[in-house]
Amino acid sequence: MTVLLRILLVAGMACGLIASASQSSAKPLDIVFVNPGKTGEVFWDMVAQSMQAAGRKLDARVEVLTSERNYRTMQELGYGVLARTDKPDFLILSNEESAAVPILEAAEAAGVKTLLLSNTLIGDDAKRLGPPRQKLKTWLGDITTDLQTAGARMANALIAAARAEKWQSPDGKIHLLGIGGDEITPASIARNAGLKLAVDAAPDVVVDRLLFANWTQSEAEQVTANYLGWASRKQIRPAGIWAGNDPMALGALRAVTAAGLVPGRDIQLVGLNWSEDALREIRAGRLLLTDGGHFLLGGWSIVLLRDYADGCDFAAVSPRVEVKTSAITRRNLGSVGDLVKTRAFDRIDFTRFRAKAGRCGRYDFSLDALVSSLPLPEGAAD
Amino acid sequence: MSDPASNEPAAPRLRPVVRAMIWATVPVLLLVQLLASAGVEVSSFWSQVKQLDARMARVAESRAELIAEPLWKMRYDRVTGVLNEIMHDETIAAAAVYDDTGAVIARVVARSESPSIAEVSRPIHYSNGNISVQAGRIAIAYSHAALYADAGSRLVLLLVVGLLATFATLIAMRISANIFIGRPLAVMMSAIQRSKQDGRAYPADVKSSNEFGQLARAFNAMQHTTSGALDRLGHMAGHDPLTGLPNRRSLTERLAVASRDRGRPDALVAFCFIDLDDFKGINDTFGHEAGDQFLVHISRRLRRAVETEDWVARLGGDEFVVIRPEVSNEASAHAFAQQVLAAISEPIRLHDKQVVPRASIGLAVRRADDPELSHLPTLADIALYHAKSKAPGTVAVLDEALQREYRRRRDLELAIPAGFAEGQFEVWYQSQVDLESQEVVGLEALIRWRHPEHGVIGPAEFLPLIERSGNNARLTRYVLTDACWALQRLAAAGRPQIRIAINLPPSELADHSLAAELRATCARFDVSASLLELEITEGSLINNIASASETLHRLRRLGATIALDDFGTGYSSLAHLRRFPLDKVKIDKAFISEIPDSAEDKAIVGVIASLADTLGLTLVAEGIERAEQAEAMREMGVRFGQGYFYQRPQPLDAVLEWLEKRPAVESRVLADSPSIAPEFA
Repeated sequence: MTVLLRILLVAGMACGLIASASQSSAKPLDIVFVNPGKTGEVFWDMVAQSMQAAGRKLDARVEVLTSERNYRTMQELGYGVLARTDKPDFLILSNEESAAVPILEAAEAAGVKTLLLSNTLIGDDAKRLGPPRQKLKTWLGDITTDLQTAGARMANALIAAARAEKWQSPDGKIHLLGIGGDEITPASIARNAGLKLAVDAAPDVVVDRLLFANWTQSEAEQVTANYLGWASRKQIRPAGIWAGNDPMALGALRAVTAAGLVPGRDIQLVGLNWSEDALREIRAGRLLLTDGGHFLLGGWSIVLLRDYADGCDFAAVSPRVEVKTSAITRRNLGSVGDLVKTRAFDRIDFTRFRAKAGRCGRYDFSLDALVSSLPLPEGAAD
Repeated sequence: MSDPASNEPAAPRLRPVVRAMIWATVPVLLLVQLLASAGVEVSSFWSQVKQLDARMARVAESRAELIAEPLWKMRYDRVTGVLNEIMHDETIAAAAVYDDTGAVIARVVARSESPSIAEVSRPIHYSNGNISVQAGRIAIAYSHAALYADAGSRLVLLLVVGLLATFATLIAMRISANIFIGRPLAVMMSAIQRSKQDGRAYPADVKSSNEFGQLARAFNAMQHTTSGALDRLGHMAGHDPLTGLPNRRSLTERLAVASRDRGRPDALVAFCFIDLDDFKGINDTFGHEAGDQFLVHISRRLRRAVETEDWVARLGGDEFVVIRPEVSNEASAHAFAQQVLAAISEPIRLHDKQVVPRASIGLAVRRADDPELSHLPTLADIALYHAKSKAPGTVAVLDEALQREYRRRRDLELAIPAGFAEGQFEVWYQSQVDLESQEVVGLEALIRWRHPEHGVIGPAEFLPLIERSGNNARLTRYVLTDACWALQRLAAAGRPQIRIAINLPPSELADHSLAAELRATCARFDVSASLLELEITEGSLINNIASASETLHRLRRLGATIALDDFGTGYSSLAHLRRFPLDKVKIDKAFISEIPDSAEDKAIVGVIASLADTLGLTLVAEGIERAEQAEAMREMGVRFGQGYFYQRPQPLDAVLEWLEKRPAVESRVLADSPSIAPEFA
C-alpha cells in the first residue's frame, strides 16, 4: 500500500512538474501585501507566511508590509506602494475597519490590480463601489473565508457533545455561552451568525449570553468568569462555551478551570484559528475543537493571482472566492497539527491547487485537499 | 422767682427723633430682610433638593443606559468604570449595580457614612435587535449634606449681607436723618435757646427747601412776630397804656439802674411824687373818658416841663413821678418841684369847661450814692402824705420831722398786735349830759392806746392804722366788751340808767354777725342791749346802703339805739336821716366851736335842730367847751351835750368817781323834768 501510495505521489509530482514546467514560461509576479496585523500576531503572520510560501512555489515575489494594526499606517503603506515608479503587479489588501477602501480607489487611479483578502467591502462602500471589476476595474475580486459555517459547525459540535453528556440545566435546556470578538467586523458577525443559526435550529439549546471579549484571552477569561458566577446564581448548568477565536477559547478555559470545572468533562469549549495553543489543548482533551485554516487564504490568494496572470481568471466562476474552513479535533489533529506548529508552509505544494485547464475559477482548498497536498512525514511513511 | 426753667415741669429726657426713627425702622428692616432671605433660601433649598433628586434620578437613568450593555455582556470592569465616573459627583455617596440575580456587580463608595442619605434606584434595561431584558438595577446613594452646607453658608452669607445692608442703611439713615432732620432741628433748637436767654429773635439758618426749610422759615417768621409782640409786651409791662409813660415797674428798674450807675457822687437825685388833688371829682363830673384825657394832658405837660435827662412816670390812678437825676442842692430841687407843680396847674379845657388841675407834690432828695436810693418813692410818699393831709396843692419836702412822723406811724402800725395782746388799748368814757337837767344820761366809749413808748395816743392817729391792718372788728368787740362791763359797773354803782355809746367803724356795718355778738356779749355781762347806743358815720352808710340798713335794723331790734355821728361835716344827707333807722344825730363840734359868736353856725344848728325835731330824732351837740355853748344849744332845742365843759374822756374808774361827786338831786330833777323843755342856765 505504501508502495502504491508512493507511486501515486511520484506520478503526481511528475504531473506537477510538467504543469509547472508548462507554465514556467510566464513572467514572475511582483505582489505586495499590506498586512493589517501586528508583527507576532499569529493569524496575520501565518497569512503572510503562507502567502510567501505560495509565492516561492508559484514564481511570485511577495513583499509583505506590516501596518502594525494602525490603519493610518496601512493607508500610508498602500499609497507608498502605489506611488512607486516600479509598481507591483498586484496589491493585496485586507479591508479591516474599511480602511482599505481609499487605497483601493488610489490603486484604481494608479492602474495597480488589487485583491481583497479576508475582509471585503461592506456597507456603504459595498453599495457605492458595487461588485469587483465594475466601478473599480483594477479591483479584481476578493478571497474570504466562510466563517458563518465555521461558527455553526463549532456550535453544533458543542450541542452534540452536550446532548451526548446530558448537560441540561434544571430548566431542561442546554445552556451555552457565546464569546464573540466584536460586534462590528464582518469576520466576527459571520461567526456569531453561525452560532445563532445553529442554536436557532436546536430548540433544546439556549445561548445565555453572547459576550464580547475583543478577541483577547484575558477579557474572555473575565467575561467567562462573570458568566459562570451569574450562571451559578441563576441555577444554570453551563454546558458549553463557544468562542469566536482560539485566544478567547483559551481565556474561557482558564476561567472554567478557575471556577472549579473540568473542561472536557464538565463543560466543552470550542475555538477557531487552528492556533498552536488550541491544538495543544485539543490534544489534552480540554478543548473540543478549533475551526479554521483560513490563514491559508494568503497562499490561496497567490494561487488565484498566478492563475489570473496566466490567463485563467478566477472570475470565470466569480470574482469572489469563498474558502471553507475546517475543524481540527482530536481525531484529525495529527495530520495538520505539525504544519501549524512548525509553520512549514513550504511543505504545501501550492501548484497542485491551481485551476485545471478549462476549469478556471474552480478550486478545492479543503482540508482534505490540503492534507493530500502534504508530503507524508517520514515517520508516517514508516 | 429764680430760674424760669425751674418752674417748668421736669422736661422728659431728650430722645432724639433720629434715634427713635432708627429704632423704629431698623429692627423691622432687619427682620424683614432676614425673613425674606430665609424664605428665599428655604424655597431655594427645597427646589435644590428637588433638583438634586431629579438629577440623581437622571444620573441613575443615564448610568443605567450606559451600564446596560457592559452589564448584560458581563463586562463588570466596565460597569465599575462607568459607575466610578459618577463618583466625580460629590453629592453621590455610593453607587451599586446589581445584576438580574440581585448580586452586586459593582459597588463604589465615596466616603464612609454621611448624614441624610437619599437613594435612587433604577432598573437597567438591556435591549438589542433580538432581546429586551432587565439586566439588573442601579442604586445611587447620595447626600443632601452639601446642600445643607451650601444652604447654611448661604444663610450665613445672607445674614452677613443682611446685617451689612442693615448697618449701611442705619448709617445712611443716621447721616441723612442728621442732615435732613437732626441738623435743622438742632439749628432751630439753638435759635430757641439763644432766644430764651435774652428774648431776642435769632433766625434759624436752615437753607433747605424741604419741610424743615419751610418749618424754619415759618419759625423765623413766627419768632419775628413773637419777638415784636414780646417787645410790645415788654414795653406794655413797663409803660402805662394810657399816657405812654413808664409805670411803677419801670420806676423800680429805673431806681435800680440809678443806684447802679450813680452819676457824680456829690450829685443829688430829686424825686417828685405827684398826686392830683380831687381827680375823683373830675371823673365824677366829666366822666371817665374825660378823666383819662385829663391824665393824658397832665402827662404831656409833665414831659414838656422836664429836661431830656429827667424821667417821668405814671404810677397809677392820679399818681405821677418825676425824677431829676442831677440837682445841685435841695433848693434847686424844690424849685424844680415848684416848676413841675406850676406846669400842672395850667388850666385845661375839658368839655368846653376850664378846669384848673391841682396837685400835691412830695419831694425827696437823696445823694446819688445813697444806699437807700431805692426808698425814694417811700420817702417822697411820706412827704406827699404830709402835703395831702396838711397842705394840698403844695410841695412838701421830706425833712426830719416828716420822717419822724412817718417812722412813728410805722412803729405804731407794727405795734398793733402787741397792743392787743398786752391790753394797751383802753376804753375811756366821756359823759353825755342832758342840757336841761344837767343829768349824765350816757357815756361815749372812746378808745385810747396806752403805748409803752409813745404814751397815750388818741384814736385819730391810730384808728386809720387799725383799719388798715384789718383789726377794726377786733377793736370793736374789744370796745363792746368793755362797754358791757362798764354798764355792769354803772348798774352796780347805782347808775343803771346811764347808757353807753360805741363807735362803729364803716366795715362793721357790713358784718351781719355783729348783732348776734352784741346780744351774746350783753347776755354774758347780763346787761340790756337797750343800754347800748351805736354811733355810725354817714360815710359808712354810703358804702353799702342795703347791708348797713339791714345791720342797723337788727341792732335796733335788740333794743340798741343808733346815732349818726359827726353830722354836718360829711354829706349831711337828709335822705339818710329818713332812710335809716336812726334815733339820734350828733352835731359835729365844728358847728359848735364858734357858737354863740358865729351866726352862720347858729343858723345851721338851728336848721338841723328843727329838722331833727320834725323827724323825731334826738340831737346831741359835740365839743361843748363853754357854758354859753351849752346854753345856746339848749336854746336851739338840742337835747344833749358832750364835751370838755362837762367832762374830758377818762378811764371808767375816774368817770365813776366823777359821777359819785355830782349831786344826785340834779339827776333826779333831770329825770323828772320833761325832756324837751328849753331851759336857760
